[in-house]
Amino acid sequence: MQQQRSQQLFERAQRFIPGGVNSPVRSFRAVEGTPPFIARGNGARVWDVDGNEYIDYLGSWGPLALGHAHPVIVDAVQRAAADGTSFGAPVEQEVQLAEMICQALPSVDMVRLVNSGTEACMSALRLARAFTGRSKIVKFAGNYHGHADGLLVQAGSGALTHGVPTSAGVPESYAAETLVAAYNELESVQILFDAWPSDIAAVIVEPVAGNMGVVPPADGFLDGLRRITESHGALLIFDEVITGFRVAYGGAQTLYGIAPDITTMGKIIGGGLPVGAYGGRADIMQMVAPLGPMYQAGTLSGNPLAVAAGVATLTEMQRPGVYDQLEATAVRLTEGIAHAFATAEMPSTINRVASMFTGFFNPGPITSLAQVEQSDAAIYGRYFHAMLERGVYIAPSQFEAGFVSIAHTASDIDRTIAAVGEALSSLER
Amino acid sequence: MQLTKSEALFAEAQRLMPGGVNSPVRSFRAVTGTPPFIASGSGSRVVDVDGNEYIDYLGSWGPLVLGHAHPSVVAALMRAAENGTSFGAPVEQEVELARLITGALPSIESLRLVNSGTEACMSAIRLARAFTGRDKIIKFAGNYHGHADGLLVRAGSGGLTHGIPTSAGVPESYASETLVADFNDLDSVEQLFNSYPNAIAGIIVEPVAGNMGVVGPTPGFLEGLRRVTAHDGAMLIFDEVITGFRVGAGGAQGLYGIMPDITTLGKIIGGGLPVGCYGGRREIMERVAPLGDMYQAGTLSGNPLAVSAGVATLTELRKPGVYEQIDRLATRLTDGVGAAFRINRVGSMFTGFFNPGPVESLAEVEQSDATKYGRYFHALLERGVYIAPSQFEAGFVSTAHTEADIDATIERVREALAELG
Repeated sequence: MQQQRSQQLFERAQRFIPGGVNSPVRSFRAVEGTPPFIARGNGARVWDVDGNEYIDYLGSWGPLALGHAHPVIVDAVQRAAADGTSFGAPVEQEVQLAEMICQALPSVDMVRLVNSGTEACMSALRLARAFTGRSKIVKFAGNYHGHADGLLVQAGSGALTHGVPTSAGVPESYAAETLVAAYNELESVQILFDAWPSDIAAVIVEPVAGNMGVVPPADGFLDGLRRITESHGALLIFDEVITGFRVAYGGAQTLYGIAPDITTMGKIIGGGLPVGAYGGRADIMQMVAPLGPMYQAGTLSGNPLAVAAGVATLTEMQRPGVYDQLEATAVRLTEGIAHAFATAEMPSTINRVASMFTGFFNPGPITSLAQVEQSDAAIYGRYFHAMLERGVYIAPSQFEAGFVSIAHTASDIDRTIAAVGEALSSLER
Repeated sequence: MQLTKSEALFAEAQRLMPGGVNSPVRSFRAVTGTPPFIASGSGSRVVDVDGNEYIDYLGSWGPLVLGHAHPSVVAALMRAAENGTSFGAPVEQEVELARLITGALPSIESLRLVNSGTEACMSAIRLARAFTGRDKIIKFAGNYHGHADGLLVRAGSGGLTHGIPTSAGVPESYASETLVADFNDLDSVEQLFNSYPNAIAGIIVEPVAGNMGVVGPTPGFLEGLRRVTAHDGAMLIFDEVITGFRVGAGGAQGLYGIMPDITTLGKIIGGGLPVGCYGGRREIMERVAPLGDMYQAGTLSGNPLAVSAGVATLTELRKPGVYEQIDRLATRLTDGVGAAFRINRVGSMFTGFFNPGPVESLAEVEQSDATKYGRYFHALLERGVYIAPSQFEAGFVSTAHTEADIDATIERVREALAELG
């Protein structure tokens, strides 16, 4: 597999962009090597600038549940592009997308569209603080909610991958307002509420962790969070940027039957364009300007191009059988991978919820960050490249989720499983 | 002018979204009335869902320097959409856009693309703090830099328009790290450095304020900021989200001959799609992950759809005479509407204040007659001219505006003013 053009581009990129990339994990630092520069994608595949073809399980980190360049989305984007991509004024499609989101998530009475998951989560926190009049928040070590300062404290995703869970440049005074608990350990949350009974504005949580690799919520965990927050007058914020419209049309909150106070969304709702959202109970959302004193604005928020892609995506996701298909594909894949690992006598744990999954190099079980961190990230790096060489593109980090789309066929899956077997054989023992 | 469809949509929107809008100023609270829902835009015009056509001076708040649906940009989008809008992996076009930006702004040796001006400014602040090891920042009352908590302190734009310059929900501890000075008042800045020597990570400033209406820097102001920061070891951050690629090919820093340490960009560089950017000296940018310990990431950052629109836009802007053209049109407009307003204009961004003037400070801005502005806004809207629904914002001219557009506008402004009495 030659990567001449990617190498040239990467060299050039590194002159103008830190690490040569606009998001750290794309630099491949964790897995080494030159990241392929992608030329185009279609369905379940991407092609790099050297013409190498890959079956793609990154799916741009979650948004592409319908696969690359789905014809309905392409059509919606092209039609919207001809009419003007942004007006800074209301458009009909915003109302449509808002309606679809509110219908899908019963806990969301009202919603505000923004430009990213980062914007959604930072707004949700400010809103919770405005609503409760309190300043402390609780997050979970290994969870990642975008790069607002107060959330770059023991963060997952690339912060975990690159060993900077708490970013430089976050003032002590900011970090002091962020209390950190242990995912799936209700006790660690209770301790914080005992120490700060009326100071905590909210708990923000990935209801299915995806940013430390996939770690599902333990039985009773989400329920416990709902109980504890309610009894202390704090808000429960579900960060469904990954899980929203992914693990079910109604998100993790529907899957697990918990109603949070605020939900953040992103990825899938943008249909491959930058869109985020935060929404929740009407009385809470009424604090948001121009109705209330919590300020939040955005020039490109709700632009007609992005919302056209979002509406088209959610419409497609509502077709009968979509989630069954995603589930079936993911099951076929993960069972096949598990079998391949067992055959190779390689310890592995596969965590999967619906169509999001992670294969950990780890005997498991994996229900906590501490267990996640015992995974063999070094061997993951070699496995990653062994797969890449065999035309399968997975996340360039052990601590991220993989995704299937409706475009992945049984034949794609079977080819992938075969590649896994070969890749494992090729690894040094 | 009937707005039946807009009214119906707005009613429905208000059930689903706070104020019925995804950004406060669009709700028209400051000017009252029902905001038209826009159906399409082309060149210098937009059409609402009731079929009313307007000559547009909002230009989506700045990005649309080429007008709506410019053929090069549309073509770029059509192509990019076919190939996949986002990969979460590097694409060639990111490098192209980076090259175009660094080529235009010499103070930017290295840059990071993000999804909005908000993301750009909050990253720039965190970077300045990481680089200097200090926590305090200085901003100017009435300047707006997006909605990161620490910057929603004495903020302009909608903060000013809606009377909430300091947002609810910003913890005291956060706000205490944000020091506020007065725009165009160097003394107010020097006082802060005297009170907090070696403690200030940086100053963030709109080199031409646009978010309190347009207020240009007074002579010596920007030079003074450069001097004071260099002396103290603090960073100078130019928020060129509005002014970048707007007031000249080299931005405000090119126009005024000042080299900031960090620059933020947005709007125009996205060509009508969500794109932001922060960049600066290489040694500073080397603190950004994955090179350094300042973390910042983004799933959709640098996506091929957005950067294609950005590349197409910046490429068009390199054509000879573009800036002369829009500056000339803006001058024709502001000269033509003249005496009724105090006009502040820099290049193709301008504000007509209802104000005895001059308007060189926030205090002077706030003496403007915002109520009269509201009535004026509607008088223009009814005459098919769309301006910012707030006194405290900028208006923009694009390459798509014609002299005929400008002259028609001048005529309608006269009529509107006559109607106001």
